[in-house]
Amino acid sequence: MISSVLFGAFSILLVIGAPIAVALGMAAMAAFMSIDKDVTTLVQIAYNAVNSFPVMALPAFILSGALMQGSGISRRLVAVAEVLAGRMAGGLGASTVLACLFFGAISGSGPATTAAVGMLMIPAMARKGYDRGYASAVTASSGGLGIVIPPSIPMVIYGVTASESITQLFIAGVFPGLLIASGIIILNYVISKKKGYKPNEGEWSVKNTLLTIKDGFWALMAPVVILGGIYSGFFTPTEAAIVSIFYTLFVGIFIYKELKLPAIFKSLDSTTWLSGRVLIILFTAQAFGRLLVQYKIPDAIAAGLLDLTGNVYIIWALVIIFLIMVGMFMETLATIMLVTPVLLPVMTSLGVDPIHFGVVLVMCCEIGFETPPLGENLFIASGIGKVSIEEISLKAIPFSIVEISAVFLVAYIPGFCLWLPKVLGY
Amino acid sequence: MNVNSALKHSIAVLDNIEGYLCKFFLSFFVILLFFQVIMRTVFQNSLAWSEEASRFAFVWFAFLGASYAARLGAHNRVTFQFKLFPKIVGDVSQLIADGIWLVFNAIMTVKSIEVIRDMMEYPFYSPALDIPMQYIYMLFPFTFILMSIRIIQVNILKHILKRDIVDVDDISSDIEDIKRDMKIAPDNNGMNNSGPENERGSK
Repeated sequence: MISSVLFGAFSILLVIGAPIAVALGMAAMAAFMSIDKDVTTLVQIAYNAVNSFPVMALPAFILSGALMQGSGISRRLVAVAEVLAGRMAGGLGASTVLACLFFGAISGSGPATTAAVGMLMIPAMARKGYDRGYASAVTASSGGLGIVIPPSIPMVIYGVTASESITQLFIAGVFPGLLIASGIIILNYVISKKKGYKPNEGEWSVKNTLLTIKDGFWALMAPVVILGGIYSGFFTPTEAAIVSIFYTLFVGIFIYKELKLPAIFKSLDSTTWLSGRVLIILFTAQAFGRLLVQYKIPDAIAAGLLDLTGNVYIIWALVIIFLIMVGMFMETLATIMLVTPVLLPVMTSLGVDPIHFGVVLVMCCEIGFETPPLGENLFIASGIGKVSIEEISLKAIPFSIVEISAVFLVAYIPGFCLWLPKVLGY
Repeated sequence: MNVNSALKHSIAVLDNIEGYLCKFFLSFFVILLFFQVIMRTVFQNSLAWSEEASRFAFVWFAFLGASYAARLGAHNRVTFQFKLFPKIVGDVSQLIADGIWLVFNAIMTVKSIEVIRDMMEYPFYSPALDIPMQYIYMLFPFTFILMSIRIIQVNILKHILKRDIVDVDDISSDIEDIKRDMKIAPDNNGMNNSGPENERGSK
């Protein structure tokens, strides 16, 4: 009864184009009313959902990422990646992946990674004779690394929604991220060999490489400060994000002397609306999730799944396919807040570790960035590369297949994400 | 003339009021938290009041930010299904959806006022700063009413005044901005279709 009110109201509102926050909130409100429960509880949930220290990592990471663009850190990181990987076949493609990897280690957002890296690498690849659709597809596919490689905004949201340790998630994401990156680099090498994309030899020299690394030193220190601070237990994720804001301000204003007031104001502005719309979903999704748990709806779903099959591998496969489908149609953070309260209890009842599930969930969302109809990375790459979305999404299919295989590997071999946190003593 | 421009200016400020307030709260809690980190790591002194103050600023920031996002039409919706129908179907359907949003906000406003009334009757103070909690909770009626005004405003702009609401998520429109931010030189070789050698050759 209560589940039909919840899911019925939610899906009707979603289909008529209500904001996701309203669809969740109104469904919860209707459910509260249908069982004669006091709706003032919603006000308490609204307050408690946001009144939390870990959630503050969200605006802080968004702000530091936005500031890095204006401070010259982003550009220098990409330049370092370019000289490091430029010498193999399809070198610029590999450089792009490497740049996304570096960038992922300072930013927690997939589209921001695609924009920052693509802006430099897509034109560079086009100049070297790469097919422009291919160049855009490589960038769109590796841009998603931004959310698997820590720090990661979706992991912050998962950690908050599931009440799991964000630090532990940040550690667990390292190997899955490297796995995806190496998969893309190998595939890029094979395709580049076949298409005859030459290494980037002409302009390369030892001296130039050293100069680029020297110029990029302060930019390369950013991930060291952020991740080193979190992993050593010196900072909480929220504190690390705050420190990275001030690190970026310092480097941008005093060392690189590129960060100007208008760029700072613009960063504050975009942080405001981006955070505002996510945080209100956080509130309504928590109200929705609380009702689900209270009425044991995940238990019913788990029981239904177990009736179907007791094989955890098949259940993982079903869950992954479901998540990729949802990720194709819905915004990433909303997806995480929505599916976590439903699926996490199901998976834990099957003996899956919550951190393991979180990493797989974030990886599935990463694939959603490069698949139509709502692939944010596709839109950005298409805007930069001036290639149609259809062409990019077609050329991104081989990369998506590699990434989906990586998701299955991580899901079936929990050690990929759980080994490192265990070794580090978390 | 002068009065007119002053009026125009104050309307522009009002139209952006959440934006200003949010930037203030955001800067406030970011600076405060940095101060707190310095105090903890350098001076071994954990402050209770600064954490609480920053959380209060954050709660205000969050809900004002939601109102700001409503003004920009930035709240995430699922809209791909409307592509199957003529434009009017999507418009009418989203208008109804926004009506339901107004109902939601109205109920939240009424209920939060009830909560505040209770708090005035049985005062409850924040643990570190000793602030009566009803003042913090005032944010709910304030922001939900403001958000409702924004929803109506955006619909009037869209359907009656026929203004285009810029899609803030459409990053392709500000790629030039990002380029300028990142200090990337305009690239005439590869990008602006003036490089014939690799452009036409492949076709």
